[in-house]
Amino acid sequence: MRSGLPTWLRDYGMVLVLGALCLYYSFATFTDQQPVGEAAGSAVARRILGDGGTPSVLVIAGTTDEDRAFAGAAVSALTAGGANVVERVLGAPRDARVVLDRLAGEGRRLAYVATTAACVEWTLLKDLNTRFPSLGNPRILIPESRRWPVFLTRQNLLNVANQITVVAILAVGMTVVIITGGIDLSVGSLIALSAVVVSVLIRDAGGGVQAGAAAMVMASLAALGMCIVVGLFSGLMVTAFKVPPFIATLAVMQVASGLAFIIAKGGSIYELPDTFTWLGRGADLFGVPNAVILMLVLYVMTHLLMSRTVLGRWIYAVGDNAEAARLAGVHTAFVLLFAYAFCGAMAGLGGVLQASQLKSGAPTYGVMYELYAIAAVVVGGTSLAGGEGRVFGTLIGAFIIAVIQNGMNLTGVESYRQKVVLGVVILGAVLLDLLKKKDWRRLFRAAATPATHP
Amino acid sequence: MKTPRLGRLVLLLVGLFSMAFSCGTSAAEKKGRIGVSLLTLANPFFRDLGDAIKEEAAKHGMEVSIVSGDFDAARQRNQVADFIVQRCAAIVLSPCDSKAVSTALAEANKAGIPVFTVDIAALGAGKVVSHVATDNLGGGRLAAQAMIEALGGKGKVAILDHPEVESVLLRTQGFEEELAKQRQEKGVTIQVVAKLPGGGVKDKSFKAAEDLLQAQTDLAGIFAINDPSALGAVAALEKAGRLGKVKVIGFDGMPEGKAAIRAGQIYADPIQFPDRIGRTAVQQIKKYLDGDDVPAQVLIPTALYRQADAQKDASLPR
Repeated sequence: MRSGLPTWLRDYGMVLVLGALCLYYSFATFTDQQPVGEAAGSAVARRILGDGGTPSVLVIAGTTDEDRAFAGAAVSALTAGGANVVERVLGAPRDARVVLDRLAGEGRRLAYVATTAACVEWTLLKDLNTRFPSLGNPRILIPESRRWPVFLTRQNLLNVANQITVVAILAVGMTVVIITGGIDLSVGSLIALSAVVVSVLIRDAGGGVQAGAAAMVMASLAALGMCIVVGLFSGLMVTAFKVPPFIATLAVMQVASGLAFIIAKGGSIYELPDTFTWLGRGADLFGVPNAVILMLVLYVMTHLLMSRTVLGRWIYAVGDNAEAARLAGVHTAFVLLFAYAFCGAMAGLGGVLQASQLKSGAPTYGVMYELYAIAAVVVGGTSLAGGEGRVFGTLIGAFIIAVIQNGMNLTGVESYRQKVVLGVVILGAVLLDLLKKKDWRRLFRAAATPATHP
Repeated sequence: MKTPRLGRLVLLLVGLFSMAFSCGTSAAEKKGRIGVSLLTLANPFFRDLGDAIKEEAAKHGMEVSIVSGDFDAARQRNQVADFIVQRCAAIVLSPCDSKAVSTALAEANKAGIPVFTVDIAALGAGKVVSHVATDNLGGGRLAAQAMIEALGGKGKVAILDHPEVESVLLRTQGFEEELAKQRQEKGVTIQVVAKLPGGGVKDKSFKAAEDLLQAQTDLAGIFAINDPSALGAVAALEKAGRLGKVKVIGFDGMPEGKAAIRAGQIYADPIQFPDRIGRTAVQQIKKYLDGDDVPAQVLIPTALYRQADAQKDASLPR
């Protein structure tokens, strides 16, 4: 018996891979980060005032809230310190150009232009002194940068978590089905179907853009319920008619996709209220996106279901050896029906979430998502043969995929190579997992002398 | 027993990671970066467009990251989120879904990053600085002129349509407007007798054209709204033995379409210029960053491409 750290590593060794990936991308994206907002504004003002005198300063910033805070802080600190703030420009390059043209026309001279790191990228400001020589070569000052990995910024980490939510929610359902020894190929199509159904219901029955919260919840529950029914149908095919899960869910995948196109009439449905994006884009708890919280809650619940309940033990038992489980008194048919219905429910939720994130439903959503979900499950250490696997392993697997995709986008790897890398990493991660679990020497020996193997 | 296994594990890890990362470039950069997410990179049209963006941006000292949206609106939204984290100076999109792109636009707008669209326009909410695309209406007019030229101004024609797409609606609209105008002014007698959906793809257009040939025994011409549709029609004509008797006008100027024009199977195409679209888009970005006025829409005209052009075209394989 092993216990403690080694056991934990055996179950969740992929955490190390995830950690290594995060470490790598932290190094690879180490770059100058520009402070923004109020603090940045005061810092620039301090630097200008530090040079002494009563300099004339033009403050330029963009249109975001942070830009406004930057300009506000800079202007008030400069005025308080005795500098002469000629003007404050908040807007696009065009707005800055108009002001600069006017100042140059009036023959004004500037000592400083205080601006943000984003605005200094404008070619207008890069060529300021050649374009407007009459301004008297003002110094352009931006907040001092610090070195920090883009990957490790709060915004990016939330991005990674947010980007994976739909696939991760699919994958938690898929984990349960795969532990029973089955597979569900229909989840990608169910994303599309659920997204289309919830959008159509809100548009046609809920009042469209004026729909209230209750109507949206009802529509979401209806879409969820329908996906549960579809999941039950797949389960019925598998249990009652002994159709292999691969074939049964392949057929359901086609049916669900076709239904989504029929219901949506081939187009996307976008007459939805702005408040519908609460689930997919809102962030109510300490700035953590609601979708991420939903994902985590589902993982904790599923983990408890699989590790603390009789039903969970039955699911493992059926996957390990269905016949033995049946003889031991497990209701195998019920267990399988539950697994497929649960997987359908997760896909239904994923579809509602996807529709909420994109504020529209279209039958083209979810293409290939079943494969991403299966990849997350397998990378997470669940055996496709059934009977073993960990729910949180799947979450780690989903994050590995998300981190690789995000990291490659951040480091500018082009699309074709991204696919190759993703495939190689999935394969490598699975090999690594096998290497940990099995005695490879015996495997190699067996492969080298197959004839003598009993 | 334990140590060698651990060693092998480390080796595998190192191999795995060096493989995965050797192709990444450092994100540390000083130049302004343009983030580009195109509908797909499997289509030569978008590849040419992307290459032109890269070339033109290099001239202005800017870097470009190009990714493919793969027709997946959710994927494209994630790509835009990554561009925002990288604080790109500008974002160029050809939306995977003209309506669903609005959430990505809203996020870019909120981050203060200007968005430009190419080829496909965004509909609905969200601010786009400028849209650069082919002049599809003018292209449709050119197609009608080619049809008149091919048929000598008389006969029955059909349109292989794909009305789900905005740009195609403009092509057929331009085609019909020009025919109507020439009927009034120049005594052209060409009549549009049928409009069938070809889905913009070869197989569906093939079936639609077969049905069309059954129904219209004296058909003189077919206007197909893009090259795949035109090639589908050509296949149906070949099968029916009416190739050459029924003139086909396509649209796009894809390599396969151009080859068919050289072989005389398609009479002519109004061709698009993806490279010009890409270059113009970067010029609009430059103008924007310079503080110049940027037009909300720039249309790139098409040009007629006939057999004589194809015979001179060095880009086609012999």
